[in-house]
Amino acid sequence: MATTPYPFVAGAVLTASQLNSTFNIPTTTKTASYTLTAADAGTRIYMNSGSATTITVNTSIFAASDVVEIFNIGVGVTTITAGTATVSSAGPLAVPQYGSGRLTFTAAGASIYTPTAVTTTSSGLTLISTTTVGTTVASVTVTGAFSSTYDNYKVTYSGGVASTAVDLQMILGATTTNYYYGFGYLPYGGSLASVTVNNGSSWAYAGGANTALTYLNCDIFRPFATDETLIASVGGNASNGNFGGGYLNNTTSYTAFTITPSSGTLTGGTIRVYGYQNS
Amino acid sequence: MATYKIQIDDEVRDATVEEAAQIEERQAEAEAQADAAEAKAAAKKAVLLKLGLSNEEAAALLG
Repeated sequence: MATTPYPFVAGAVLTASQLNSTFNIPTTTKTASYTLTAADAGTRIYMNSGSATTITVNTSIFAASDVVEIFNIGVGVTTITAGTATVSSAGPLAVPQYGSGRLTFTAAGASIYTPTAVTTTSSGLTLISTTTVGTTVASVTVTGAFSSTYDNYKVTYSGGVASTAVDLQMILGATTTNYYYGFGYLPYGGSLASVTVNNGSSWAYAGGANTALTYLNCDIFRPFATDETLIASVGGNASNGNFGGGYLNNTTSYTAFTITPSSGTLTGGTIRVYGYQNS
Repeated sequence: MATYKIQIDDEVRDATVEEAAQIEERQAEAEAQADAAEAKAAAKKAVLLKLGLSNEEAAALLG
């Protein structure tokens, strides 16, 4: 293991190998929980244990500006633990396998831990794809939208316009039969009205559009799975609020969907597909 | 048959004859459904008119 002559002292003579080794940080490997000592200043500690371990930080061991690097190469999570010194951090103090971080002392009894690699927590909703709709298109197909990664999806389309007031139909893959859908809408100041799709060629009211806006907000349940796919939608425009739900009566696995206006064309806006995290 | 532009992901192209036929089929179905909904609404309005009831009164009556 290369070691540097750190700390340098007055009158010391550096050899070539010592000078070269200043580019190598001294390292030690610990296979069990460990309490930092003064000799660890300016070094890198590899933690390598199959079980959970701790690195304990005590006061009056280090001076301000001392630094200790910590890498965890073992399966067991290493946790940076405040002993008699304080350990502050904007991130987690748990260091997963192949995670790392730097412990910097601001005073003899105070340190800051800055993780450089951590295990991220999956968010509930993950953006899968973004499709910018072109000009005067009669349909838009998004491929690669569904996969085994997620069971359920959210699809939104906003920011575009239609050539006239239309409903937005949705189909999965190339399937144009067996769509069922119940749709209710409430004209502002009016009363509830409804319409249904009974073994139709699409989910005919998945969204809507007019010359000022597009709106589509659908949850799609299990389109990739080989069982029936369900849809739930909710939306609104300048004249009514609406909601719908239905299903596709087959067991086909789908990776793509198509949005089609009930007449005319669509221009602009963005179709976004999100996956609901399974766990 | 009319010509249509379709988009697949980021690519926009002219629809094939088969694709255009599918678009027109779905649009025709939507038009038929809209007509049916309109007829249903008109029939409802006619009944309410005959009974002399407003939408709200009819909704209250039906619970």
